[in-house]
Amino acid sequence: MSDDEPTRDELVDPPRSAAVEETRRRSAELFAVLSAPDVGLADRSDAREQLVHLHLPLVEHCARRFRNRGEALEDLVQVGTIGLLKAVDRFDNERGVEFSTYATPTIIGEIKRHFRDKGWAIRVPRRLQELRMQIGTTSAELTQALGRSPTPRELAERIGCTVEEIVEGLESGNAYSTLSLDAGDDSDDGTGTMLDTIGVEDDSLENVEIRESIKPLLDALDDREKKILMLRFFRNMTQSQIAAEIGISQMHVSRLLTRTLDHLRTALETD
Amino acid sequence: MPLTGSDELPERADVELRLPAEGVYVSVLRTTTAGLAARLDFTLDDIEDLRMAVGEAAAIVLESAAAGTDVVARFWLGDRTMTVSVAADCAAPAEIDEDSFAWQVLTTLATSARASTGQSRLDITLVVQATPLEAAL
Repeated sequence: MSDDEPTRDELVDPPRSAAVEETRRRSAELFAVLSAPDVGLADRSDAREQLVHLHLPLVEHCARRFRNRGEALEDLVQVGTIGLLKAVDRFDNERGVEFSTYATPTIIGEIKRHFRDKGWAIRVPRRLQELRMQIGTTSAELTQALGRSPTPRELAERIGCTVEEIVEGLESGNAYSTLSLDAGDDSDDGTGTMLDTIGVEDDSLENVEIRESIKPLLDALDDREKKILMLRFFRNMTQSQIAAEIGISQMHVSRLLTRTLDHLRTALETD
Repeated sequence: MPLTGSDELPERADVELRLPAEGVYVSVLRTTTAGLAARLDFTLDDIEDLRMAVGEAAAIVLESAAAGTDVVARFWLGDRTMTVSVAADCAAPAEIDEDSFAWQVLTTLATSARASTGQSRLDITLVVQATPLEAAL
């Protein structure tokens, strides 16, 4: 298949290929901006951001292939987007490969790595994995409807199960990824850029007087961890609000926050 | 029903949990706390806050707990409020450093918190009140 003519798509499916062609053209233009030697920082990051937006549908497409594996689609898209960012930064315009061809394995690799690293540390029955997913979705809906996060009783009523089952489901959510609590995020080029594009001002962190011993530790956190910590403790946002702000699930916020606090505590103790 | 933030908690807690003073048991304490809060109709956000606050309290207590001792957690279940005390025997309980990160996190998450250091015992008591269920505005 791979040695088909690159133009095959256009012959088979003209309307779609027009869109594909347009995406390719735009993306080539943007990469030309990125690789040009004398482009300002602002233009460069603007081009990078546009490239990411241009290829988000590709990320969604990749993420969809991993549906029904116990992870919310929105979380997979987010992880896949990290892969996309890596691909954008590493892509070599000169190589004569289409960016989408180059990016797809990187995106899928990132999603697979997510499953490998953050997968169920304890074997959790499928029923519980599904319940956990359901709690995630329903909880997001109810948070919207109520203007606050729901209680387990409200979740139980909506889902049609018992409060005990909800508690069990929440617990399985916390059992998820227990082994990697202390594992640092090993992504070498960080996840900050996507958060930067969300447009939350970061000043509050600077305005807070942070004890000397904490400061270097905070600086060492990855940008997303720092942001969540900042939103929770300096902005006093709830986990649900943070989840909405960053675009990940509340359970994901919970896991990241727990991991960050554990990490900070361990680091402080070993000082 | 205990009064929130009151110093006069009934001598007898509603629930008591005794655990070895070792880090690996903190998750059991957190889980128990979350399970109790769910039954008091706390919201998920409240439960998360409480779970983390108790985790921090346990971490502080464990730091000074004497080896081979127990951590005792006591829970007073109120009307949409929970008071949790985490205590352990300590050889020489240090004064709580209120600037410490753990204490800052704890006091941010809990509605109120206090530490009492006796002769050879450190006790951290915290209160978390649930979000009102009526319209948040």
